[in-house]
Amino acid sequence: MPANNASDWIAERRKAALEAYEAEPVPTWRRSGFWTTSLRNLDLDALEPRRYEPVGSEAELPSEVRDALDGEPGALIVQRGASTIYTHVDAELAEQGVIVMPLEQAVEEHGELVREHYMRRLSETEGKFPAATAAFWTGGVFIHVPANVRVEKPIQSVYAIDEPGTAQYAHTLAILGENSECAIREYCLGADIDGQALHAGAFELYTAPGARAKVAHFQDWGRGEIYDISTKRVVIARDAFVSWVPVHLGGRLTKQVLDIITAEKGSDMRHTGLYFTERDEHLDLFTTDLHEAPHTAGDTVWKGALTGESRASYEGLIEIIEGARDSHTYLQTHQMLLSQRAKGDAIPSLIVKVDDVSASHGGTVGELDEDQIFYMMTRGISRIEAVRTLVEGYFEEVVQRLDDPGLETLIRRRIGEKLLAAEDQVKEFVGHRAGAAQEA
Amino acid sequence: MSLEIQNLHVRIEEREILRGLNLTVRKGETHALMGPNGSGKSTLANTIMGNPVYEVTDGKIVFNGEDLTEADPDERARAGLFMAFQYPATIPGVSVANFLRMAVNAKREEPIKVKEFGKLLGENMELLRIDRAFTSRYLNEGFSGGEKKRAEILQLAMLKPEIAVLDETDSGLDIDALRIVSDGVNALRGPEMGSLIITHYTRILDYVKPEFVHIMLDGRIVREGGPELAAELEDTGYDQIREEVAAANAG
Repeated sequence: MPANNASDWIAERRKAALEAYEAEPVPTWRRSGFWTTSLRNLDLDALEPRRYEPVGSEAELPSEVRDALDGEPGALIVQRGASTIYTHVDAELAEQGVIVMPLEQAVEEHGELVREHYMRRLSETEGKFPAATAAFWTGGVFIHVPANVRVEKPIQSVYAIDEPGTAQYAHTLAILGENSECAIREYCLGADIDGQALHAGAFELYTAPGARAKVAHFQDWGRGEIYDISTKRVVIARDAFVSWVPVHLGGRLTKQVLDIITAEKGSDMRHTGLYFTERDEHLDLFTTDLHEAPHTAGDTVWKGALTGESRASYEGLIEIIEGARDSHTYLQTHQMLLSQRAKGDAIPSLIVKVDDVSASHGGTVGELDEDQIFYMMTRGISRIEAVRTLVEGYFEEVVQRLDDPGLETLIRRRIGEKLLAAEDQVKEFVGHRAGAAQEA
Repeated sequence: MSLEIQNLHVRIEEREILRGLNLTVRKGETHALMGPNGSGKSTLANTIMGNPVYEVTDGKIVFNGEDLTEADPDERARAGLFMAFQYPATIPGVSVANFLRMAVNAKREEPIKVKEFGKLLGENMELLRIDRAFTSRYLNEGFSGGEKKRAEILQLAMLKPEIAVLDETDSGLDIDALRIVSDGVNALRGPEMGSLIITHYTRILDYVKPEFVHIMLDGRIVREGGPELAAELEDTGYDQIREEVAAANAG
């Protein structure tokens, strides 16, 4: 039966996803017996999508959104709860043919383009939450930069949660045309809500050959109990380059799978991650640097710091499949414990199925180095100032890789605030010298 | 204006390293403290600055009449003490210039003006023949031995302490680097600064002439004198002095 409605295909996809969702139990993620990410404290049944009216201007956006945004975006799309509440695209971008709109709208207006890429490398059978997202997403974000278009100002999308009881199912699809150039920033922002909420998200980005993009994810869900279970995938085509920077600065529990795929000959990427956990936050990240074609390159650096009683696990896998010869990639991960009660884990791993490649990885978990602190104090610098400087210096390498002054300032500011909040713990935590370092 | 070390006993992990050390360094004076490896020279330098690894079990460190034995390292620095490290720490992500600005500001009520800081830095870099590009590098990251020592002397020049302790600043330097560092120290010498040059070898004393020489063995100062003592040591070596001290004690 020919489809009367242009979007029938998506209804089919949603239906398949719903079936997958219903067939799956709520997962518990365990690794090697000592790391567990569990949702037993999350009351899923008490959460529901919440609808909001659109707003007429940026000034009417929720304060946690206004507070994080910087400068003049080329485009801005904001989803609050289940609803897109604001969309703005510069006339200049519109003239260039750039599309930034809710994904729901794009399904109607750009059906063929969306259908061609929608969930090309994501699957509703990846688990309970990817299935939930594929079944229930509303609003969403669609970005299309046509071939040979260079967008100067950043394209920004925001997912915001500011009420307890919210379930937000989010889906972003970004398509970058041949030889296009752009910068995308996606924010996940929460108010300090009193109660639970869920963000279940999917992000997929596909470049065409020769495209160049800077992609940043900035997550700060605030001090409330916001759970974030998301899958993000960046797929890079022939001779294209993506610099991807995910930043995690807050959330009660975050479980994310982040994959960057150099999928065609000559594709290249730089992947830089940063996280800072505090209080009783729980962060569980799994990244894959997947090479699927010959002559691909990768460079991955992840750095994190932990305060309070927080838990953070980072596992980074390099995978080079058969046929991806002459690929060169490197992954390093570092973690710094700033509190005696925090627990962390940073594990690099490697699966290489082909010769003639170079792949190396390394990981460290360390504490503050008392020799560095003493050195700085002999210059008149107080202990807390020394610690702050060392932590900021530790992150500086990754912050600079953002190559985005506005976002760099925001991240430095937030890290500074978090260190100030943890000042007492940091003071009492007389480190035991850079201890458990492991080199792989 | 002086640093007085009185009957200092210091322990690290149950082992007594300093065993009743007395030493006074006044502003305007240059002292050399010489001793073989393991005599406790670096322990003394670290204890003067308040390194928490070292435990003072007896005695005092008095600076300008104030007992600083229990003071935190930053307090001592702000009071006017400085130490040039034998093995300075690396501070990743913090440029030499930013680090210097932090250190200079730590001693001031009001932060130094950008222009004034630039001028001060420029003058001192010229004095120590340091290249401009040096200041934008992260402090000590990837520095050669000579660069590290020069960065220490640059900090000394910028912070203008009343008393500076130079812990084996000459070690690991080739002759050119040694000359540059020594020239720097000499340029900073004067009535406003006292210094304690800690060294194993007499080499640096060919360039920086001390007025007082102290010889240290097993956690105590065993001989004191003028520059002639360094010359004597050059001829006889530490073993000779050790024997003399043992004989004197036996007698």
